[in-house]
Amino acid sequence: MIISSAKPFEEVIELLKDKDDIFVVGCNACAAKLHVGGEPEVLEMCKRLEDEGKNIVGWVIPSAACSVASFDSLVEKNTAINDAKTILVMACGSGVSIISGIVDVPVYPSNNTESLGGRSQGEVIPELCAMCGDCKIYYFGGICPKGQCPKRLLNGPCGGAVEGKCEVDPEKDCAWELIFNKMEKKGRLDLLEKVWTVEELSE
Amino acid sequence: MSLTFKDKLKSKDFLITSEISPPKGTDLKEVIEDAEHIRELVDALNVTDNQRAVMRMSPLAVSRTLLDAGHEVIMQLTCRDRNRLALQSDLLGAYAMGIRNICVMTGDHTTKGDHPKTKPVYDLDSVQLLSIIKKIKKGYDLAGNRIDNPPDFLVGAVSNIDQSKSAQMMKLRKKAKTGIDFIQTQAVYDIGKFEVFMESISDIEVPVIAGVIPLKSAKMARFMNRNIPGINVPDDIIDTMENTEKPLDEGMSVCAQTITELKKLCRGTHMMPIGKHNNIPKILEMADIRKKDQC
Ligand code: SF4
Ligand code: SF4
Repeated sequence: MIISSAKPFEEVIELLKDKDDIFVVGCNACAAKLHVGGEPEVLEMCKRLEDEGKNIVGWVIPSAACSVASFDSLVEKNTAINDAKTILVMACGSGVSIISGIVDVPVYPSNNTESLGGRSQGEVIPELCAMCGDCKIYYFGGICPKGQCPKRLLNGPCGGAVEGKCEVDPEKDCAWELIFNKMEKKGRLDLLEKVWTVEELSE
Repeated sequence: MSLTFKDKLKSKDFLITSEISPPKGTDLKEVIEDAEHIRELVDALNVTDNQRAVMRMSPLAVSRTLLDAGHEVIMQLTCRDRNRLALQSDLLGAYAMGIRNICVMTGDHTTKGDHPKTKPVYDLDSVQLLSIIKKIKKGYDLAGNRIDNPPDFLVGAVSNIDQSKSAQMMKLRKKAKTGIDFIQTQAVYDIGKFEVFMESISDIEVPVIAGVIPLKSAKMARFMNRNIPGINVPDDIIDTMENTEKPLDEGMSVCAQTITELKKLCRGTHMMPIGKHNNIPKILEMADIRKKDQC
């Protein structure tokens, strides 16, 4: 899923400073799962904006903001969008882009889009994949160094890890530590010994 | 003509390299002074490349300045700040400016430096860059285009010295496979551990130049143990530093003892004096190597 987080409300208010007649578009896919664009968050946003004196003309939660087919398909869900002078999208950047492409009024984002990640056992896991267009994750035991190592190192670790934690973020495990341990357990260290030259990567 | 670093690497000599940091500014006076302190005592000067991701003058400019002053240099090159175009073009530029030795590394992440929001590049990793250099030396750029008058660099790489870090050891082997000419290591304090490291790579026929950093205090040792990956100052050295009245002298003496031990184990030492180049002659004298008057 696309990992996004809510902008601070003050920033949203600042974006909408001179704007009114706001229609809020949520997203029932990633943003809803991450609690930054589902129904409870959309309703909460509408209320807070109203408390700030804004007129909310309506809201809608498409199944996925990034795949809304047309303006009419939004009208079908809530005709109030016809009265909107401003649209606030509570979804990732793709969602905001698609909505911006099908409406004529200014569109604002309420979220910051961060990475392609996931959620497992109740925990949000960011940066699982860097969308490189040339998937090699198998060679690394399902832990992608392009996504999870801040230096995107394919040939081995950087030497900057301290006690297994990443040089860049001491809260995070070094991706290479995880990769190596996993492949060692699997008895597949041979896969890691491969030298990845630039020539054979299509990046 | 005196021997080059390349010639000396082929000899049986115990080599001494040291580190020079480019200035934060445009005045090269200090760089020249630092180098002057150790003229004829060291075989080459490593010129660092925005070390620890702190912005400083280009190592290319500083390397050329030192060459002009009659020193031999090893220009460091990180993968952090340049994409594959810039790396290749700087390599050609460096060779044209007279630089014959380079040392390649991934580079500390930008978040560690003084411009933490910098977009890090890491278009290539150190292994990839080393294989590209090999190709360039043969007369082709990465894309396979011909290069006129290809550079004939002596190429080095860096390594930590903890043999138990298997992933790092695996990477070191990949670097060695690219045909590097020398390895410079992180600072050694625990000779026993370093010996284990050297044994574990005894099949790699690349000269190893072991790093040393003279300690200034017990506090510095503890700080490095906590914060600098790959550095491990053993407790007995920390105790010695703690119990002495003259920590600077003691630090130099510890360093000299380490160098004396290193002479038996590897091909040279890389001295990282952290701004105290004037202490190097004394340390080398204590380690009983290359007193200036013998040169
Ligand atoms: S290799 Fe990594 S970044 Fe590329 S597609 Fe696969 S998981 Fe994503
Ligand atoms: S510490 Fe590990 S995860 Fe972090 S940059 Fe280095 S190799 Fe990558």
